[in-house]
Amino acid sequence: MNFKKVGVVYRKELLEVLRDKRTLFATLILPVLLYPLLIVGFNSIMTRQTAVMEEQGATIAINDSVGNAVSRLLAEEIGTIDNYNLVPFTATTNQLYEDKDVHAIVSIGDSLGADGTQFYKVYVQYDKSKDRSRIVFDKLYDSFKASEKKLQKQQLQASGINPEFLDLISVRERDTSTAQKKMGMLLGMFLPYIMIIMLLSGASTVAADLVAGEKERRTLETLLVSSAARQELVFGKYLTIITLAMVNVVVNLFSISFSLKFMLANSAAEMSGVQMPISAILILLMAMIPLATFFAALLLSISTFSRNMKEAKTYEQPILWVAMMMAMVSFLPAVEMNNLMALIPVINIALLFKAVMINEYALSHLLITIGSTLVLDVLAIWATIKLFTSESVLFRSEDDSGSLKAVGKNKNNFFNPFYGLVYFSLALIALYYLGTYWQGKDLMSGLLKTQVFIIALPVYAIIRLLKLKEKEILRIKMPKATELLLIPFIAIPAAIIVSVISQLINIIFPFPPKYVEMLSKLFTMDASVWKVFLVMAVAPGICEEYLFRGFIIRFFEKYGTKVAIVLSALLFAAFHLDPFRFVPVFLLGLLLGYLTLRSGSLVNSMLSHTINNGLALVLVTYGSSAWLKPLISGEDSLHYWLIIPAVIVFTGAIYLFHKVTEKGVPECAE
Amino acid sequence: MIKVMNLSKEFPKKDGTVFSAVDDICFEAKDSEIVCLLGVNGAGKTTTMRILSTIFKPSSGTAEIQGYDIQKNAQHVRENLGFLTGDTGLYNRLRGSEFIRYFGRLYGVAEKTIDARIKEMADMLDMHDFLDKKIEFMSTGMKQKVSIVRSIIHDPPVMIFDEPTSGLDILTARNIVSFIRECKQRGKCVLFSTHIMREAERLADRIVMIHKGKILANGTLDELRIVSEQTDLDDIFVYYVNKFTDETEVLAHEF
Repeated sequence: MNFKKVGVVYRKELLEVLRDKRTLFATLILPVLLYPLLIVGFNSIMTRQTAVMEEQGATIAINDSVGNAVSRLLAEEIGTIDNYNLVPFTATTNQLYEDKDVHAIVSIGDSLGADGTQFYKVYVQYDKSKDRSRIVFDKLYDSFKASEKKLQKQQLQASGINPEFLDLISVRERDTSTAQKKMGMLLGMFLPYIMIIMLLSGASTVAADLVAGEKERRTLETLLVSSAARQELVFGKYLTIITLAMVNVVVNLFSISFSLKFMLANSAAEMSGVQMPISAILILLMAMIPLATFFAALLLSISTFSRNMKEAKTYEQPILWVAMMMAMVSFLPAVEMNNLMALIPVINIALLFKAVMINEYALSHLLITIGSTLVLDVLAIWATIKLFTSESVLFRSEDDSGSLKAVGKNKNNFFNPFYGLVYFSLALIALYYLGTYWQGKDLMSGLLKTQVFIIALPVYAIIRLLKLKEKEILRIKMPKATELLLIPFIAIPAAIIVSVISQLINIIFPFPPKYVEMLSKLFTMDASVWKVFLVMAVAPGICEEYLFRGFIIRFFEKYGTKVAIVLSALLFAAFHLDPFRFVPVFLLGLLLGYLTLRSGSLVNSMLSHTINNGLALVLVTYGSSAWLKPLISGEDSLHYWLIIPAVIVFTGAIYLFHKVTEKGVPECAE
Repeated sequence: MIKVMNLSKEFPKKDGTVFSAVDDICFEAKDSEIVCLLGVNGAGKTTTMRILSTIFKPSSGTAEIQGYDIQKNAQHVRENLGFLTGDTGLYNRLRGSEFIRYFGRLYGVAEKTIDARIKEMADMLDMHDFLDKKIEFMSTGMKQKVSIVRSIIHDPPVMIFDEPTSGLDILTARNIVSFIRECKQRGKCVLFSTHIMREAERLADRIVMIHKGKILANGTLDELRIVSEQTDLDDIFVYYVNKFTDETEVLAHEF
């Protein structure tokens, strides 16, 4: 790659961006104007409003049914509050209260205690939903308490007891959190949200323009014919997006800082002297860079894939929404940073932000956050370069094959990624609501019902409805005997390898105890071993394979075998609705996808899946038995050394499987 | 020098079959020669030119530009190639000179050389008045001139013009036509495509007729006239298309 050419592309794109008044307005001028208006304006309105309400005073109606010295004192005390005037309770008072001419009605009653002491009960009628009424109530309450104290002191003095006795215990706060830290807490809540949104909106203003825009204006072809390599073009454009995103963040941040500073300077003494935590913000700006690169790569790949700007903007929307939702995690008080959270993009930055702002963060979290974001970033950039070298993407024509009309004409048109995702989403929703409901009523039958009625049957119904050839589409055919023979030698070591991998994951990101409890409940159902085996191994083996390797995988096959395997495995992993098992299930999905597509027979993956689940069952059920003891360490985890023979057997068996299935498999022509 | 050897390009269709946009074609274009790729819309002209300019990869066969293989040496091919189409867009927010300079830099041309070439071409095409104007404020003719300079800024020995006059008014089209002649005079190898018979007649040293991805005829206008026994290029073209249709129908009958 020639960095000089990257620089040429970068400079030209920046120049174009700088000449676009709309972009300039959105990235530079708007934030400079917005925050002062928002923060300073809002703040001054707030303080003024409160001050006004304080001064406003109120009219209080008094309904004194006691009429002695004490009750008169209570009323008098209220009369001493600034701007409060008292009116006696009359027949029209209720009407006046409705008309808001009377703000509260105070009724004073009394009762006698067992020893003859007279107790007073004060009822305050007010409208709690009104800010002004709440202030009135607070003032009345304080006034009653002051009167009470006065009376008590009089009583004590009369009985010859020192009235100071009432102040025996005085409570005072000593807040160890500095005003600085409180400020950090507050900033930590809304700054990450604002910064992530600004980062994305800054990036998205240019991203769509950079490739989809070139397609639309018919300049892309000229660019591709020039002697700049594709990756030089991609990197030049990529740097442009990052720059703009970061500029947007920095400008916003400065604008926020200055507005806040102004606000602090004008606010109460408590907050005076509090500085914006500049060094913390600088650390975070650094941490934002990987996120900026990730968004840039993601948006650039969308832009490359889209035919025109409008399409690119449409595809950007879901990303904006998801990122916004994830960024909102900073508003949740209970969510705290840990190793697992540090792996999830956007959420990790938001939480890290919060932690850094109050100066309580672990370096490891910072490193995991940056590292995991960079990994995603590399993947997205790689995808963009791939897209940029794919002629079918760069010169994508209007695709009508997804329309219902086209499906009517040719049934095979049904199998496009859009319908695949729609079907998957519907199945997921059914699983989440219906499946959970069934399993809640009765775990055993619920699981079985889920497999049959949610996972398998709808697929069968669609195949029938569209009059598709079930056996051909879903690859239901008997594999060769040699293939079947090899499956156990693939499935068993694969299950061991995947188990060991998930044990390793468990060390770094420990399962929460509640989760382990729930999982073990699944395996220790109150039923015979064979029944459990049927529900936990055979049914998923058949039904889930029917759905994922039979049906779902078909939707992605037009992008090639590898893409179909990876995407179906991703959906398979997502379908388990379990972040802790995502990686192991994904790996399993890869294997099962390979087995089916390579051999052209779904039976292979069904058998393999059943063996895999069965093995897990054996491990949990017989983990403590003598014959399994040598393989097991602790309660039900495998010894790590097992991975060595497992890898050897697995590699050998896969090699043989690959050989056996070599001929006459058109699906694997690649 | 362009050498096309058994070039084919297939596009997958939605129903699983493939569409042969270019089907096993061979032809050559020498230096100081203008070769015209003549065919109706959808004949495979643009696909051929996109393969030659390394935007598309061929399904089979290959081609050479100045002796560089379009697949193995794509980078060198692009350096030796100028490419211009009638409907190419430009970056509206750049000035004409900035636009040309951008491409000069992408081709790795030295700044001094870029300056000199811009001056030379601006003299030739009478562009000094609007060279520093923003492209969005330029007329179609001005834009086309900027595109011309852009296509030749790296002084490539081979020029490819894909429907260079389509969508242009008559005066602007004349600029292109005289530029194509100028290229020949400078010793460049020129390949241009068109569906306008008159243009082919006036410009081409040799005409390659292409139809449904296949080459119907390849020769000078005189050679084609002799074989087809027609004078007008329109009639010659129709003659070859009919001949091709008959042959394919016969073939279809035989099988």
